[in-house]
Amino acid sequence: MFNRQGIKQQQVKVGGKQLTIIQAPRPQRTSQVATVWGALCSLWNGMRVTWRYFSRPSSIVTQQYPENREHLKIPERFRAQLRLKYDENGEHNCTGCKICDVQCPNASIEVIDMRGESGKKEIDRFVWRMDICTFCNICVMVCPFDALEMSNEFESSVYDKRLLTYQLNRYAGPTKKAFEKIESSADRERLKVGRQPFEAPTPLGIAAGVASGPGVSVAPPSTMKKDDI
Amino acid sequence: MQIWSPLYRPSIWSFRTSIGNREVGMDMWQVTTLAARIQESLLNQDFVRAGIFLGGGLAATVAAVSLLGLVLVYAERKVAAHFQCRLGPMRVGWHGVLQPIADGIKLFLKEDIIPTEADRLLFVLAPFFCILGMFLAILVLPVSPEIQIIDLDMGVIFLAAVSGFGVFGVLLGGWSSNNKWSMLGAMRAAAQIVSYEVSLTLALLVVVMFSGSLKMSEIIQSQAAGWWIWRAHGVGLVAFLVYVIASVAELNRAPFDLSEGESELTGGFHTEYSGLRFGLFFLAEFINMVLASAFAATFFLGGWMPFHLGDWQAFNAVMDRIPPLLWFVGKTSFMVFLFMWFRWTFPRLRVDQLMALEWKFLLPVSLVNLLVGAAVVLSGFYFFS
Ligand code: SF4
Ligand code: SF4
Repeated sequence: MFNRQGIKQQQVKVGGKQLTIIQAPRPQRTSQVATVWGALCSLWNGMRVTWRYFSRPSSIVTQQYPENREHLKIPERFRAQLRLKYDENGEHNCTGCKICDVQCPNASIEVIDMRGESGKKEIDRFVWRMDICTFCNICVMVCPFDALEMSNEFESSVYDKRLLTYQLNRYAGPTKKAFEKIESSADRERLKVGRQPFEAPTPLGIAAGVASGPGVSVAPPSTMKKDDI
Repeated sequence: MQIWSPLYRPSIWSFRTSIGNREVGMDMWQVTTLAARIQESLLNQDFVRAGIFLGGGLAATVAAVSLLGLVLVYAERKVAAHFQCRLGPMRVGWHGVLQPIADGIKLFLKEDIIPTEADRLLFVLAPFFCILGMFLAILVLPVSPEIQIIDLDMGVIFLAAVSGFGVFGVLLGGWSSNNKWSMLGAMRAAAQIVSYEVSLTLALLVVVMFSGSLKMSEIIQSQAAGWWIWRAHGVGLVAFLVYVIASVAELNRAPFDLSEGESELTGGFHTEYSGLRFGLFFLAEFINMVLASAFAATFFLGGWMPFHLGDWQAFNAVMDRIPPLLWFVGKTSFMVFLFMWFRWTFPRLRVDQLMALEWKFLLPVSLVNLLVGAAVVLSGFYFFS
């Protein structure tokens, strides 16, 4: 049994610096009676805590999911599908540097780059395999260009697991920054080569000798909206 | 207050008569049991009536037990959920009220597996021992002055005797499964129940001393002036606490659920059980919880006796307006809720802590309590003595 009292504070001068040293209390033997009393008090405390939860319906965190779909409350930091951040012009920040690809502990990201018109490396395909992703957030944290984010889009069940392989970039081409230097909008649009979410090379597709896209035609998930990805 | 003297009160049994003659300012409750009704019919050569009582009593008991099982499964799940910030079953019926029925159907339809290496006879028998112990305890349960099956003269001794049947079932089930987890669980259950039975009985003895009787109905009648939990200057309260702790341990419920701790022994003694047999174990466990609560209410909270305060006529008359059955149900539900509250709050003990708690703490406390209780009884130094 430990005594809560007895925390000691001390001011010590070390090399001209004033330091505060806090000494942890030594465990002290208390009497049998005090032990029993302490045990009863802590049991009562526990019961008070659970009673608080029990008596306050507002503490319930369960969501009645399909019914409350319209006004779901998802915590800000909830990690569901990975996606690239897009600005209002539909341009992203990904340079195709492959850092996320290398850092992902599950190898669920495959970044395929290409040489762009300006001779610089650009993103060609950003392939993300949701089926082997653990949503650890490492890719988001390591990206030096802050191009990735975890969205709250969690309704991603599908009947065909190939549909869990997403192509995250909507276009192949330069980054937001590179676009800023290009004056004419026609030039900009010309540099964007469209990419679709489900035309990424999939494991099954590769096995079947299909270079890109699922070997068979599959319907996208019914819950998916046009600009989810 | 009377000063104790061996000449005045040679034994506590003479004290008992003084309770029987005590003026409480009201009519004593007339207790009629099912056994008495049947006996009366048989004496009148009315065999049809006796048969109806017998069959009706049997059917009512079985129906009440099954219904209680369903209600308790639902209550436990809901209460547990709300203690943990969840909602619990919400899908089957309004707020999930039909969930236990769905659970029951699932259990009925499940495959009933008997392991190849198991001792078949004992394996099949074990759940029935649990159920048997439960029904035997129901025999002496006083639900209301009119609802009691039999009012044995030595009801408390009978209760202490049959409460061992449950652990018999647990032990047989664990042994016959031929599985190390079951075996360990059964051994733990046996050790635990043998230990805690001691302080449980000592706690009951305090009440037996105060009421001067082993008969359930007389124990309840003796609380007509107030419940034993508060009338005896703390002795009753300590006995109540010891009883509650020991009966949680006897029930194998958390925080004493060592014999079936999921995280340690998969399922403990019922690891190998499935389907209906598992359901029987489950039912016995839940009904035993109600029984422990009901007996706690009987011994310490006055059973079906309304809340009375000595000879305050007006107050007692108001309390008498509430029927005894309602009092009983209310007190029992409170105790059941308390058991659930414990289960979803306290962490599980370790095996050595469990034994230390019993032999080093509860047993000395209940022994001292018994001695103090004896002194209090003999000196008559308690409220409304
Ligand atoms: S998402 Fe970030 S880390 Fe990954 S390739 Fe693009 S720029 Fe590099
Ligand atoms: S969240 Fe983790 S596992 Fe998923 S893609 Fe990013 S780094 Fe890989």
